[in-house]
This record gives sequence, structure tokens and C-alpha cells, in this order.
Amino acid sequence: MARKSVFKIIGIALGLGVLMACSLISPETSFAATHPQELGAGRPICSECHSNDVAKGALKPYASFDHTPTFVKDHRFQANQDSNTCATCHAQSFCADCHGGKVPMKPSTRFSDRPDRETPHRGDFMTQHRIEGKMDPSSCYACHGRANNEKCAACHR
Amino acid sequence: MKPRTQVVLLATLMSATAWGQEVSLYGTTMAQMWKQETPGFDKSTFTPATQYLGIDATKLGTDNLSLHLFGWGRTDLSDASNFDGSKSGGYLNYGYLQYRFDQANAEIKAGRFTANQATGFEQIDGVSARTDLKGGFAVSAFAGKPVYYKTVDPRNQNDYEFQRDFIVGTRLSWRMPKVGEFGLSYLQDGTKAAKDLDIPSAVDYTRKMLGADVHLAPASAFDLRGRTVFNVANERTNIAEHDYTATVKLGSQVTVTGNYAERNFLYYFAGTNLPSLFRQDENDMFRGIGGSITWNAPTGVQLVGDYRHMHRETFGDVNRAGGEIRWASSEKTFLGGVGGHWVNAANTKFVDPRTPYRSLSHKEARIWGMVTRGKLTGSLDAILQRYDTDNPYLVGIRNVYEVVGSLGYQATSNVKVSGDVSYGSTPVARHETRGLLRAEYRFGFARKGGR
Repeated sequence: MARKSVFKIIGIALGLGVLMACSLISPETSFAATHPQELGAGRPICSECHSNDVAKGALKPYASFDHTPTFVKDHRFQANQDSNTCATCHAQSFCADCHGGKVPMKPSTRFSDRPDRETPHRGDFMTQHRIEGKMDPSSCYACHGRANNEKCAACHR
Repeated sequence: MKPRTQVVLLATLMSATAWGQEVSLYGTTMAQMWKQETPGFDKSTFTPATQYLGIDATKLGTDNLSLHLFGWGRTDLSDASNFDGSKSGGYLNYGYLQYRFDQANAEIKAGRFTANQATGFEQIDGVSARTDLKGGFAVSAFAGKPVYYKTVDPRNQNDYEFQRDFIVGTRLSWRMPKVGEFGLSYLQDGTKAAKDLDIPSAVDYTRKMLGADVHLAPASAFDLRGRTVFNVANERTNIAEHDYTATVKLGSQVTVTGNYAERNFLYYFAGTNLPSLFRQDENDMFRGIGGSITWNAPTGVQLVGDYRHMHRETFGDVNRAGGEIRWASSEKTFLGGVGGHWVNAANTKFVDPRTPYRSLSHKEARIWGMVTRGKLTGSLDAILQRYDTDNPYLVGIRNVYEVVGSLGYQATSNVKVSGDVSYGSTPVARHETRGLLRAEYRFGFARKGGR
């Protein structure tokens, strides 16, 4: 009997919790699933069309999403904070091109017909990595520290 | 996840695509060929064939439910190119069901996916959810079984999988219009540690990280984003990482950025499955400071100048500086760039103690271009690194280079075939020619996939 009462109390508390949580949810409509207009080739500068508007939902100026060289290099911040904005134009396969967890070839080989893309490890990176790795192994760690490191392990045992 | 379970899950997910009202399939088939002559080794010919395949099925019964799959398979048609001697391989990068709500940017995912809501970038087999809350708050969380990778020593694989039994992460953020966003996140990978093993292991694959991130964007002319990550696995909380970038826009054409990063290896490398390379040395750390200036001229020309000073406690200092000019024609039928960088690594240790001046200092130059004429595309990409004379790592050569030429034909809006030829010289192969054939295709409705 006492057990049933405990379950009832827990059930009521959970129900109230869910109702309360639902009342906290923002009433704003979600981002568009896709960008309404197809974008041309090259890196988009969002603020060219969106001037000084603040992006709905993200509550940041559209200039924050301009694909400048710095944004392309530091895109992890945006991806960590709000990948929904990325998903408006990019499918997840775009991320997996480089961050696949395990990939069969370096991205610069896979996209060797797209030299405009900022793919890592161009040229003879086997020689280059000796200095890059010695200077800043934390830059390697982001991709190879916990995954995609079978080739590293061939020598670094 | 066991291979048999993966096959069953994959078959179930793929059959679910039949319910989709809009199904798109995209893939790339690639065949490569190169010969390698390495002194001391037999001549080898490599001809790997690789298939990438992705499926997006939307409107699965309801407009908001969708399925996404992406993976690859590869086989060697001649000598084995895998380091373990095997001739084939494959991987499911992701396969998940997603429900997007019309309100509050809320979504739920289930299956295999990459979670990047918190301090990590994790592949998991599990579930995730996020929603915006009233007052500018947002909350997200994920939980499941971490995807396992190989450890360096196969004897450690059982310990690795024992320790990484469960992964959970969450992030709470607050946004204010025209101010920015502040976030707090937590990540725990593994509920068991090396000390919980019957025979305690020296390597700990688990980790507990707490992150604080910020994005200040009070106006379109100023932007500061970054994060600090703490390792909270021990009694004392320690800083694993600081990484901050500030951007200032001067008018509509000039952008100036500055970056500061610091990483303490003992705490930052927690949980690595490659401990021999990512050494958790309490005396080692990295500090980098740098910046760039970009001028976007209205004529489609972009000029970038950059500088970065890097300091590693146990290794020394490196300075890297350079610039790049990019040009895009108004119709984007021509894209091109030329750049050069100078790397001064003279003030470093251990490269060659007998001749420290013969460091890995070098100069790098790159030139590339892409042309589109109707259905034909062509590109050329050349990169050269010129090192000091008699560098001990370079077996007597000074110039390391690679030139890649590519020609493509866009047969239809959904099918493109292309072929590349590359030629280069490296310390491993003085003369190396490679060939690559590529077929890219897309069938279905969605236009977003792969962009």
C-alpha cells in the first residue's frame, strides 16, 4: 500500500515536472529547415543580404555567421553552441567529410578537385606533421586524439 | 556495438526509408592508383576503390520525422594499403532518426550520430534532445554508448571498452538579443575508471569535463567567441583549455581577428586512446597567440595576412606568418588563390641537437585555380615547401611539392564524373604519380545533403 502511494506521488511529481518543463519551452517557431533560396558557389557572407538583422532564435547578428576565413577555421564554436543554424544549409555529411570519426582518406585527397575548400593536410603532410605535432599536438587531438588515429598508431605505438 | 547488431540496425534503418515521402540518395565512387618505391621496401602498387553512400529520407509519416545515414566501404584491388595489412574496410559514420519540432528549435535524435553540444565532439549510439526555453535559455543533452575505436595495444581494448561504458553530456545556455550567448556544459565519458578493473590499468580512458563558453556579438562589427574547459575528474578542478577569438569589422571590407589559446596536456588529453602520442605530461602545455587581417575588396578579391606565435613548454617556439590572395569572378566561374607562409622553427629543441639551426623552418607557397565552363570543370593546385639544406628529416632533399590537376564533367545536375592526376616529391617517394577517378551522384529531392 505504502509502495503504491510512493509510486503515485512520484507519478504526480513527474507529471507536474513535465507540465512545468513544457510551460518553460519557448513559443517561438523553429529555424527554417532549409535556406529558402539556393546559395551560389563559394563562402556565403550572410550579412550581405541580412544587413543588421538579428537572426531569430539565435538572437545574434547575421554577421556572426559570415563565412570569413576566421569563421571557417573556428567554426567549432558555432557548431557547439547552435548546430541548428548550420543545419539550415549543411547536411551532417558535410561535417562527416572531415570529422567522420573514421575516414578512408585525408579530406584533401577526397576533395582534390575542390582546392577552394579549406581541407586539412594538403601536400606532403607526413613531413609537415613533425613540426605541427611537436609544436601543438592539441591541434591534432581534436580529430585524432580519440578517433581516426589508426594511421597515427602505425608509428606512434 | 557488435557487427551483427550493426547490420540488423542498418537494415532496419534502411527499410525505414521506404516510408519517406522524400528520399534522396547521394554517393561518391572513387578509384585511386599509385605506385610506391620506398628504399628498403618492395615496390608496391595500390589501387583502392572507395564508395561513400548517404541517404536522407524526410517526411516519414509526418513532416517532422526524418532518417539520415552515411558511411563508406573500401577495398584494395591490388596490394594492401591499410597499415594492418587488411585489404578492405568500412564504417557507418552516422545513422539516426530525427524529429524536429516546429517550435523552439526542439529536436530529438536517436541512433548513431555525432554530439557536439558540450565540450566534446563525440560519436555515440544513443539519444539526444534540445530545446529553446523562455527568456533566451536553451537546454540540450545526450546519452548513450560511446562508439569504440581501436586502441594502440589490442591487449588494452577490453580495458578501454570496460571503462567507456556510458557517455552523457548536457549544456545550458542563455542568449540575450544583441549581447550574445553564455553556456555551461558538462561531459562524462565512462562511469568506470582504470582503478575499477580487476587488475587496475595505468591508462584511464574516462574523463569528466566542465565547459564554459561565450559568444559576445553586441553589434555586427564586433564578435568574441571562445571557451574554457575544466577537467573535473580529480578532487581538484584543473583548467584543460582556454580558446578565445575576437573579430572586429572595420567598415564593410576589413576584418581584424585575434586569437589566444592555451592547453594543459595533463588535463586536455584525458581519455585519449593514443596515450603514446598525446602524452599527459603535467609539465607540458601549449600557448598560441595570433591574428589575421582580411580585406574583402568589392572586385571579388580577398587578401588575408596572418601571424601566429606558438609556444610549447617542452619544445620551444615557432613563428608562422604569411598571406593569401583569393579571387572569385562575379559569376563564380573562376576561383583562384595564391599564398605564401614562412615558418621559423629555429628556436626549438630536439629536431637535431647537433645542428639546431637545421630545424623544420621552411617556406611554403601555394597556387590554385578552379574554372567552370558550361558542363566542364577544371582545377589546378600546387603546393611547395622549401626546407633548410641537409635537414636530417628530409634525406637530402630541400623541396617537397605536390601538383594536382583535375578535370570534371557535369553530365546532369545530379551526376558528375572527374579525374585527377597528381605528381609530387617527398622524402618517402622522390617521384610519385597518382591517379584518381571519381563519380559523384545524387538522386531524389533534398538539395542540402553534402553541401
